[in-house]
Amino acid sequence: METRDVVIVGAGLLGCFAARALAAYALDVTVLEAREDVCTGVSRANTGVIYAGYDTQPGTLKTRLCVAGSRGMAALCRELDVPFSRCGSLMIACGEKAEAVLRRKYAAGLENGVEGLRLLTAGAVRAMEPNLTDRVTAGLYAPGAGTLDPWALGIAAFENAQANGVEFRFGQAVGAIRRNPGGFLLETDTETYQTRAVLNCAGLAADRVRELVEAPLVRIFPSAADYLVLDDLSRGFVRHVIFHEPEEKGKGLTLVPTVSGNLLVGPTERDMAVAPGATAAAGLAELRALCAQIVPDLDLDLVIRSFGAVRPNPYYVREEGGVWQPEARGIPSFTVLEEGGLVSLIGIKTPGLTCAKPLGDYAAQRLLAHLGGAARRPDFDPRRRGIPNLSAMAETERAALVLSQPDYGRIVCRCRGVSEGEVREAIRRGACTVDGVKRRTGAGMGRCQGGVCMERVLALLAEARGVPASAVCKDGAGSEVLHGTL
Amino acid sequence: MERYDLLIVGAGAAGMAAALGAVRGGAARVLLVDRGDRLGGVLPQCIHHGFGLSYFHEDLRGPDYAARFAALLADAPEVALRLDTTVLELSADRTALLSSRAGLERVAFRRCLLCCGAREKPIGALDVAGTRPAGVFTAGQAQKLVNLGGYDLGRRIVILGSGDIGMIMARRFTLRGCEVVMMVEQAAAPGGLARNLHACIEAYRIPLRLRATVTQVHGAARITGVTVRDLDTGAEELVPCDALVTAAGLIPERELARALLHGGTPPDWLGFSGNCEHIHEIVDSVTVQALALGERMAKM
Repeated sequence: METRDVVIVGAGLLGCFAARALAAYALDVTVLEAREDVCTGVSRANTGVIYAGYDTQPGTLKTRLCVAGSRGMAALCRELDVPFSRCGSLMIACGEKAEAVLRRKYAAGLENGVEGLRLLTAGAVRAMEPNLTDRVTAGLYAPGAGTLDPWALGIAAFENAQANGVEFRFGQAVGAIRRNPGGFLLETDTETYQTRAVLNCAGLAADRVRELVEAPLVRIFPSAADYLVLDDLSRGFVRHVIFHEPEEKGKGLTLVPTVSGNLLVGPTERDMAVAPGATAAAGLAELRALCAQIVPDLDLDLVIRSFGAVRPNPYYVREEGGVWQPEARGIPSFTVLEEGGLVSLIGIKTPGLTCAKPLGDYAAQRLLAHLGGAARRPDFDPRRRGIPNLSAMAETERAALVLSQPDYGRIVCRCRGVSEGEVREAIRRGACTVDGVKRRTGAGMGRCQGGVCMERVLALLAEARGVPASAVCKDGAGSEVLHGTL
Repeated sequence: MERYDLLIVGAGAAGMAAALGAVRGGAARVLLVDRGDRLGGVLPQCIHHGFGLSYFHEDLRGPDYAARFAALLADAPEVALRLDTTVLELSADRTALLSSRAGLERVAFRRCLLCCGAREKPIGALDVAGTRPAGVFTAGQAQKLVNLGGYDLGRRIVILGSGDIGMIMARRFTLRGCEVVMMVEQAAAPGGLARNLHACIEAYRIPLRLRATVTQVHGAARITGVTVRDLDTGAEELVPCDALVTAAGLIPERELARALLHGGTPPDWLGFSGNCEHIHEIVDSVTVQALALGERMAKM
């Protein structure tokens, strides 16, 4: 059997960035993903905030990676051709207790080496963001913070890793791992893989994957969060990422002006009582009530979508009467476990997006150390070109593209101005579901939420894959859009 | 750059009538643009009767109603037609940027009439919690998939909202052998026309629940059911289904004009007709309004 150097379990943000980091070396790397596409789990549903690095404890791995990730994000996004808005963040207080938190974060930020942090008066905050409540008493400005679409970053890393020789296998859920003299033997429903080392980036399932071969130590106790997405008619309502630090116990409000011009409002914090990705009615109502307090002029009739995000909270566990119980406090830093060639990233939550590249690099370095190093590949190319983004093009450039490739002239999604050419290119690059096309092109993310374009996308997917439209899925196995053809 | 007396965006009922009205008003060069690949806008997917009762004094189906105007347009050399073409933007200098497989083209015009119809409120705008599985459609989207695509959307269907398209689709699903488990309406009275209530809901004994709403969608990959809440008693009930169709209102589609509005007022060369002006109950009134407006704009 062919022996790989590294098998990565999970093609989320971290799996893709670790794969990209390893692709720079002369190694045989395979990524196994249970689902049909990259970034379908924890990676895709979060605020998309790039944190400046003042929220975490000084001296931790998390802080070091967050500050590095934040600083390097603009260069990374240029390299990977991913839209990034370094809009800065503004943490706001509406009272003395919250002001004290801001001062603490400011001090932590200075210690962490965050650049440009400034404590602001109420007047200065209101001058920067006139739509915030006049109850604001102080602010903490971080010019280095920003926002991007998390799936866009993950997809870019996937494409770049793949272009540099990493093999990605989809529909490969790992069901068994065994240590053997050569390293590890991994089994999926259909295949077995022999590898010298394993990187476990299985997101919400990372604890279970680790326990295929190790005794329980860290487990994920997920919680959920609700978000609202507003029509891009809300563009400019706030210009910075806004973190409202609550005065009383409870969750504050975060407002994110996304790179596409939408406004993201969230999150609530609640138990994951319903299915992953689901929203809770109480959570959505709570967000609306918070908006009325913090941004009273925000027109909530502009809401076009809500979504539920999952936080994979890691806890050390110990056995009590045959049950693995979590310790009272969660693990504050990133959990990177190294166990004889098995490296596990367990419960990587905020600021995991900010840290995706440095954490991927870090995991890659741990694996290299285990493998005894490897030669750098001279032909490694860190650059990736995205799908042509028509809405961002000058008229002449766009005209030339349509002339050479007419599919780019035919508009499929009117809300976002996405052409058939972009959809076809997304499919060519690996999109195999309606939501996969949506994440790669934005088709269906606008104000009509696919009401018009979904049918066209469905037809293009069916044509490209040579299947009937009734076989095309919205998002993963079993999610056929249609019920069949009568 | 090509120059036109009148640019009409959207070749549905309003756009077709406006083009004919403009010719009647003396326009020599009219450009009629539609993003779809056929004339008529949503009319081709409206295969039910009830069109033309007041305008033609006949009971036509949507495609037939559209065909009457398409025939008249075929005899109007003043009207240039571009299908499969999207107007990307309108500029204050009275030019428009058109995109199609044939290329990107800027055209100039004296007047412009938006006949872009309306869009449907998506489920995400409706304050419904739960998952976002496959099997959730808007009524117009469902109508197009079923009537033009020939697809089946589910066997047990819940319809949220009782607008006209929702009622017409309830009958359509029933005639195709699907079970419409329930039509749910928040208000105390149905939203659509009385004639549709009789012909589509009562005639087929479709359960109509007034003062109720869908609060939650269930199902991971594909929808398995919805929670229906009685707005008076607060009682909730899990209703199994394999498709949810929302018919919760139409919003005039005026996005192209947005950059040109000053304090809500469009420039004097820009007009709106049909459902993008306001939501009309019947197509005949769209035709009458658009004919008159097209003629008036040609004479301006």
